[in-house]
Amino acid sequence: MKVNMEKSFTLPGPAINAWTFLQQIEKVAACMPGAEITEAIDERNYKGKVKAKIGPATMAFNGDIVVEDIDPEAMSLRLIGKGQDSKGTSSAAMDLTARVIAVDESSCELQGNAEMTVTGKAASLGGRMLTQVADQILNQFGKNFENNVAAMGPDEAAAQQAKEELAQQPKELNGLALAWSVITGWFAGLFGGKKA
Amino acid sequence: MDNANDANNAPEQDDPIKGVGCARKRKEDARFIQGKGNYVDDIKMPGMLFADMVRSPYAHARIKSINKEKALALPGVHAVLTADDLKPLNLHWMPTLAGDVQAVLADEKVHFQYQEVAVVVADNRYIAADAIELVEVEYEELPVLVDAHKAMDDDAPILREDLVGKMDGAHSKRVHDNHIFNWQAGDKDATDRVFEQAEVTVKQDMYYPRVHPSPLETCGCVASFDKVNEHLTVYITSQAPHVVRTVVSMLSGIPESKVRIVSPDIGGGFGNKVGVYPGYVVSIVASIVLGVPVKWVENRMEHLSTTAFARDYHMTGEIAADSDGRIKALRVNVLADHGAFDACADPSKFPAGLMHICTGSYDVPVAHLNVDGVYTNKAPGGVAYRCSFRVTEAVYVIERTMDVLAQKLGIDKAEIRRRNFIKAEQFPYQTALGWEIDSGDYHTALEKVLEACDYEGLRREQQEKREKGELMGIGLVTFTEIVGAGPTRNCDILGVGMFDSAEIRVHPTGSVIARMGTITQGQGHQTTYAQIIASELGIPSDEISIEEGDTDTAPYGLGTYGSRSTPVGGAATAVAARKIRAKAQKIAAHLLEVSEQDLEWDVDRFKVKGVPGQEKTMKEIAWAAYNDRPEGMEPGLEAVDYYDPPNFTYPFGTYLCVVDIDKYTGVTKVRRFYALDDCGTRINPMIIEGQIHGGLNEGFAVAMGQELPFDEQGNILGNTLMDYFIPTFVETPKWETDYTVTPSPHHPIGAKGVAESPHVGSIPTFTSAIVDAFSHLGTTHLDMPHNAFRLWQHIRELGLDKRTG
Repeated sequence: MKVNMEKSFTLPGPAINAWTFLQQIEKVAACMPGAEITEAIDERNYKGKVKAKIGPATMAFNGDIVVEDIDPEAMSLRLIGKGQDSKGTSSAAMDLTARVIAVDESSCELQGNAEMTVTGKAASLGGRMLTQVADQILNQFGKNFENNVAAMGPDEAAAQQAKEELAQQPKELNGLALAWSVITGWFAGLFGGKKA
Repeated sequence: MDNANDANNAPEQDDPIKGVGCARKRKEDARFIQGKGNYVDDIKMPGMLFADMVRSPYAHARIKSINKEKALALPGVHAVLTADDLKPLNLHWMPTLAGDVQAVLADEKVHFQYQEVAVVVADNRYIAADAIELVEVEYEELPVLVDAHKAMDDDAPILREDLVGKMDGAHSKRVHDNHIFNWQAGDKDATDRVFEQAEVTVKQDMYYPRVHPSPLETCGCVASFDKVNEHLTVYITSQAPHVVRTVVSMLSGIPESKVRIVSPDIGGGFGNKVGVYPGYVVSIVASIVLGVPVKWVENRMEHLSTTAFARDYHMTGEIAADSDGRIKALRVNVLADHGAFDACADPSKFPAGLMHICTGSYDVPVAHLNVDGVYTNKAPGGVAYRCSFRVTEAVYVIERTMDVLAQKLGIDKAEIRRRNFIKAEQFPYQTALGWEIDSGDYHTALEKVLEACDYEGLRREQQEKREKGELMGIGLVTFTEIVGAGPTRNCDILGVGMFDSAEIRVHPTGSVIARMGTITQGQGHQTTYAQIIASELGIPSDEISIEEGDTDTAPYGLGTYGSRSTPVGGAATAVAARKIRAKAQKIAAHLLEVSEQDLEWDVDRFKVKGVPGQEKTMKEIAWAAYNDRPEGMEPGLEAVDYYDPPNFTYPFGTYLCVVDIDKYTGVTKVRRFYALDDCGTRINPMIIEGQIHGGLNEGFAVAMGQELPFDEQGNILGNTLMDYFIPTFVETPKWETDYTVTPSPHHPIGAKGVAESPHVGSIPTFTSAIVDAFSHLGTTHLDMPHNAFRLWQHIRELGLDKRTG
């Protein structure tokens, strides 16, 4: 089961802030709901885990993350993550290319292109929802990323608010909330409305 | 029942002995409807442990390491076994029924998703389920092959490293590492010549999707090894318990006399329960090692993902004909996707089963069939899902191609069949691919259906609907099956000829116990075998007990699949009963002090010809068999028969289906389905009716919704009941049934077998009806499943869903 996703998020502040943040892999990973870096092997290689709770099932993927193709000129990098769930029934991989594009002095854009692959029970049971679930995860990721960048300033009030929101960030993928946003997103798409 | 008043459908009360032809109520139902059946999972033994499987999330990967420590540390876990543990016993691989080998537990590599990697044995199934999650397996992913068409490409990943360099396959030379066999029937050169010169030729590609029989009960077993007596008992969901006993003995080295296999009540088999699966082998090994009973029962996902699938045939049908639509030659090409191990359940000599029945009901002068089997990263299997060894595929390809020919020539599909049928006077008929069809009357069956359904009226209605832009389709199929494998001269499994057996004992008071080598899984053997004996011996069938499935008591038989119970087991039963009647006649002559020739048989007694009142009933004879018999005759009244059928039997039928398709949603409504079956002599019309309803339901399931697709990573999709279509009362159409009777000339009672015809015949009928709804727009074929989404896509392609005005 493979899905390709393209996403872009508008971020506050100059592009250099976003690019600086993007290179802090451990912090970037923390923007992903339920994800964390458990071990930094070197600058390019990390070990991490992602925990997702969907309905009664909890899946914890343990895996390796490799950072490749860091290009300061283009402000882009590539993250390759690969993991197997601790129960041995599923595996997941993501190949993400992210780059920061300057818009003007007070805003920029984060563009991401991700190819996600899942195998095993996650594909058998969750395959039909994969696109929608990935979409919601990435939206949450974008929101967290935005808050982190906003927290770097220069707008102090916005930075303060962003820090508060970050403090309340859910620590893992919340299946119920996720399911709800997937459903609303699906209905919105069905009736041609704006995606939730 | 449309023929309730027919003489062939005698109600129970009108027939005191309830013999052949009686609509006797099923003797099995009393326990089933009260929940008192005894299935494998009902079996509980003291100290019994439970096995559960660690399975691969990858379709193709190398196993780098397996760490059992955490699982073994969990309280209640007794053992964790991997291929390395089975290696010293030489049980990490096992032979398949198709001449290949299959990994019992993945040996260094996994070849398909959900493949068995390790087994955990624990106090109960909950602990076992927890423990399998603690077994840590490290994999290295390998490139995945799921497209059979790419299997023999130069750059295709090689799946079976154990076979590299071994190019002498079980059935033919292999031409690629992923090639299993090439198999051909018929005359290629003569066929090609006819095609080159033919007035008309048609060619149609079609894919018969991978599906799964998915009976109500999944597969399972309880293995119990008695260390003191070195005796192994296995309760198992098997359609062929005696073959399992032979296989278990060969694999384990335990003498066959110390292996007892019991198939208790089985909740449906449909071919899925013919094979020997890794779960059985590891349960047996675990029981031998641990000295306690071990139970393994798969869940639905394991069932759909790993224990034998059916079909997965990529077929091309070609017909050469003259301009009147008379067939001159048939050419069929098949690319068969067998998955990672060739574990098809077919007679040994036929790697494509009985696919060469694909000339169908038609007088085809010359034909050629070519089949290539290939390996892919999918579960092994290839069983006959409610059919006789690829007959469903064979009927599908010929019936579809006939429709395409009719469409090309602008001849009605009923008429093109009429023109090409084997005529009643041509039987027994030798087919171009080597079969001898025993009997048939295809024209009568077709005309009866056309008249019953007002075929011409339907065509007029369809014309009117087409003018209004509505989608109505009429499907028509005139199939011939080949069942009852089979003559031992060309049919064997693992070298054991495909005979079957019956052993009948008449007790002194005239009641009977009979045991057969077959095994019922819902067919109603306890009911129908008793009726055969009742008619042969004049003993009321209610006094006849039928037992099957326990290899310690039943005579050796090859089991129940491919509609072989009635053609082979039923024949053995009739022949054994006739041996008893012959002895009874001698006893009657002795009791009546006349010669045997002076006696005549009348329902339940021998009478002296021309002397009213001088008679002995079977009950009186039975008593005498134990105390007053002719001098020199051994006491008792029993017989055994091992029946080697002289030929297969060839049931046939005509099915007609009318569908209405909503052009905005693609939803199909099956408005009418009329099934006429000819299974020769009808043993129990009520059971036949039930079998036909069941077969039509399963045919509907396959045609309209069932499939097990794979994505490019080798993920099996559709392996849960969220996706896999099992029709319920809500979806199931109304079935109308009818019949003709053309007995088999070589079967002792003329019966042919029926349970699979409705599955085999209905599937192409649905496709025929669906395609017919679009045929005026140039559509010649649509692959199954014909679900609403796929039809809606086709409707969109044709631009039919645009609202006008």
